[in-house]
Amino acid sequence: MYQGIENREYKFSEIIADPAIGACWEKVRKYFFLRESTYDMSNRCNIRCEGCYYFNGEKQFAKENLNVADWKQLMEAEKERGITFVVLAGAEPSLVPQLCQTCYDVIPLGCIASNGLNVLAKEIDYRIHISVWGNDQTSFEIRKAKDMLARQMANYQDDPRAVWVYTFTPVNIDQAREVTELLAANGHQITFNMFSSPVGYSGHLRHTPETLAHTRATMSELLHEFPQTVLFSPYNIVAHTHTQGLHDLFSCSYPRMNPSTDIGLGRSFRQYRTDLQWDRAAACCVPDTDCDDCRHYAAGSAVVTARMYRHATNPVTFSAWLDYVDTYLAVWVRGYEKSATLCQEMIEPPSIVES
Amino acid sequence: MNTDISQTITRIAEIIINELKLEDVTPETFDADLDLVDEVGVDSMDLATIALVLRDEYGIRIDEDDYPKLTTIRIIAEYIDNKLTSDD
Repeated sequence: MYQGIENREYKFSEIIADPAIGACWEKVRKYFFLRESTYDMSNRCNIRCEGCYYFNGEKQFAKENLNVADWKQLMEAEKERGITFVVLAGAEPSLVPQLCQTCYDVIPLGCIASNGLNVLAKEIDYRIHISVWGNDQTSFEIRKAKDMLARQMANYQDDPRAVWVYTFTPVNIDQAREVTELLAANGHQITFNMFSSPVGYSGHLRHTPETLAHTRATMSELLHEFPQTVLFSPYNIVAHTHTQGLHDLFSCSYPRMNPSTDIGLGRSFRQYRTDLQWDRAAACCVPDTDCDDCRHYAAGSAVVTARMYRHATNPVTFSAWLDYVDTYLAVWVRGYEKSATLCQEMIEPPSIVES
Repeated sequence: MNTDISQTITRIAEIIINELKLEDVTPETFDADLDLVDEVGVDSMDLATIALVLRDEYGIRIDEDDYPKLTTIRIIAEYIDNKLTSDD
């Protein structure tokens, strides 16, 4: 065990009696009211990326609904059933800014996943996740778009809504440093994602044990060297670069993998397509991803966070969980400031607590 | 009503009131059959927190798959009673 930690199961009250742990616990628990669902906003995108989760499966063929009144009605119904946080995603939400604004006007907490090539009006005060898949040469090869990072940074310079999401693939691991340095030099922030294969994908972007280990080492170096720029924690690194995927480690609680409709994601989460319909059998934050290979940052934000109980066994494990939740909130919620990391060690995720 | 269960119900109500900072209700007036999710507005993370406090209080482990089912104070009290009985 770690210094000062006894090899026994602690009472929860003992764990949170530590001043630093207790302060972080009180900080993050204020956000336990967040209840998310996700929405495909458009079936169009201004670029086409290899391995894009949106252009897999049936959802890409859903008819677009561009009617503002219909979206307003949907958002009001979502609010009524308790949704407090919206994630606006596929294919490219910035192509339908009027719908994003409509969502914001009804539910003012949320996030937009964008490629950052169009600027969203400041009135839409959601967190904006700007996807980056390597340096500009790699982006051109995989995403067929020139000067992506330069254009993204120009579009979102000095914009506190923006956080870049670097998706590690086996071919861009060593480019993360170059991208992080550029973002740091321009005062931006970055978090990390892992390429998670769509169902049936067997291309060269699928991670292997070797590329997972390489990614882990690279993330650790960047987190250590750029603590103001990188929104991540050692436990985020463990959870997302483990040889086991998120479902094997934490039992995914999204409806697609969780038949239970008891309280939790299995009960409240929906993933709406562009025709405003949803299908429980396909409902997760990254539909059509191969669940066995899922290490997606959005999935982890819900799946790891939901497993508080099994992490509350000793101060170290609970600190690691708090770091993860604190990072999740800093990445996803406008105005939430990340705290200092509590657990610097790379601890193994706990197994399911036996009753 | 079994006296022990009655005491457990009151104590659970007290814990829930404290953890969720509920107003206008006391441990004695809290309806033990009220649906905590649909009628009180408890969410899954609240339930996990309550499960941890109950773990401290009664020295029992609550299976992660079980606590979403613990939707009323009476169900929680019976769950605890069963756990304590089976541990004897």
